[in-house]
Amino acid sequence: MKRSTWNMNIQRGTYPVEDRGLRFELAADLSPGVGTSCVWIRGENGLGKTTFLERVVIARLKADGIDYLYVGQDIRTQIYTLRAMLSVRGHHVFGTDEKELFRLWIGQSPTARVLILDEFDKYFQDYRFVFDWSRAFIQTYIVVSHAGHQRMFPSEDRLAVHPVLFTASGYDGGVKRVRILLEQPWSF
Amino acid sequence: MVILKIAGIFSFILLFFGLFVFGPVYDRIPVQAGVFVCVVAWSTLRFSLRETASLIKFCLPFLFTLMIFGIAFQLIRLQGREDWIADTLIKCLIFPSSLIFLKILLTYITYLDILRLPVPMKRRIDLITIKSAFGKGGAMLNRFLWYLDTYPGIFSGTRARKLLIRYACLVIALYLYLYEEIEDSNRLLRNRYHHLLGGRNEEH
Repeated sequence: MKRSTWNMNIQRGTYPVEDRGLRFELAADLSPGVGTSCVWIRGENGLGKTTFLERVVIARLKADGIDYLYVGQDIRTQIYTLRAMLSVRGHHVFGTDEKELFRLWIGQSPTARVLILDEFDKYFQDYRFVFDWSRAFIQTYIVVSHAGHQRMFPSEDRLAVHPVLFTASGYDGGVKRVRILLEQPWSF
Repeated sequence: MVILKIAGIFSFILLFFGLFVFGPVYDRIPVQAGVFVCVVAWSTLRFSLRETASLIKFCLPFLFTLMIFGIAFQLIRLQGREDWIADTLIKCLIFPSSLIFLKILLTYITYLDILRLPVPMKRRIDLITIKSAFGKGGAMLNRFLWYLDTYPGIFSGTRARKLLIRYACLVIALYLYLYEEIEDSNRLLRNRYHHLLGGRNEEH
């Protein structure tokens, strides 16, 4: 399947999310390039990784008109909306297991260019199936994981990995400042 | 005492519906608008502005559908009536008012109130389950809507069609959630009751 290329670029700068009491300081442009790549996000709990994805990254994708797939951390909640959405599209999804739901959903989304997984490894130890089903059209994988990203990508695929680290950098008038560091990209 | 409290709450609900929904002031738009404002203000104080806004937002597609039918009926002068638009406007005020009013009133019935009801334990567990599920369901609405907004590429067609499909999905998701939540919570409560009290006083 031929896919159009697109370069995600979240510019360095400060991203306040006031209602969550967070201020993100992105140290450099987050721009993984046009090849298939993985942005691997890690950092301690409570630093707003999910908020960053939902309020900064997804907001940017929407503004750029880029189709994406997002699997949230509260996957049990999301499953209800997935079942509803797929049933409206004529699929028999009642009694279907979660893995099959994801396969149907991903299969319905060939225009998506970004796939975001927020601690998906809490639910599936080995989730290479997501990569297998989406590699034809997904350009950028954004993975939040404490365990690592290796569970997703088969070793024979040499993806460019962009490690991103969230670190607390203090408080400013009750607002938690979170520094987002982009480490040296590498392939495996 | 608890009987009095619950009877009072339900009497208030009946009074509201008797006066404003089925009663003498049904067709007075200024009164209905006033009731709507009061109920919204009460809800904001009782819950929050955000929760109230979310509840109103939830009503919007239903109000939109009502308006469409109202205009259509007016255009074809269904049953010879020429007051379809005015009647629809009243319904558009009454529907959110009643929903918010019911929600507010029912939150005054606490879990302890239910536990003190002189009905068999099985019934009390059922009531606790329903209260818990609907409480959580309300809180889930925003999150469901948020997730549905992340599936934009999935829905095609006009903007109105997308909106209707989105709300159809919301209703299905909410139904599925409530169905599972009620079943799980009920099983959990019965299990705990059975094991903590050894099944004693099963009916009291």
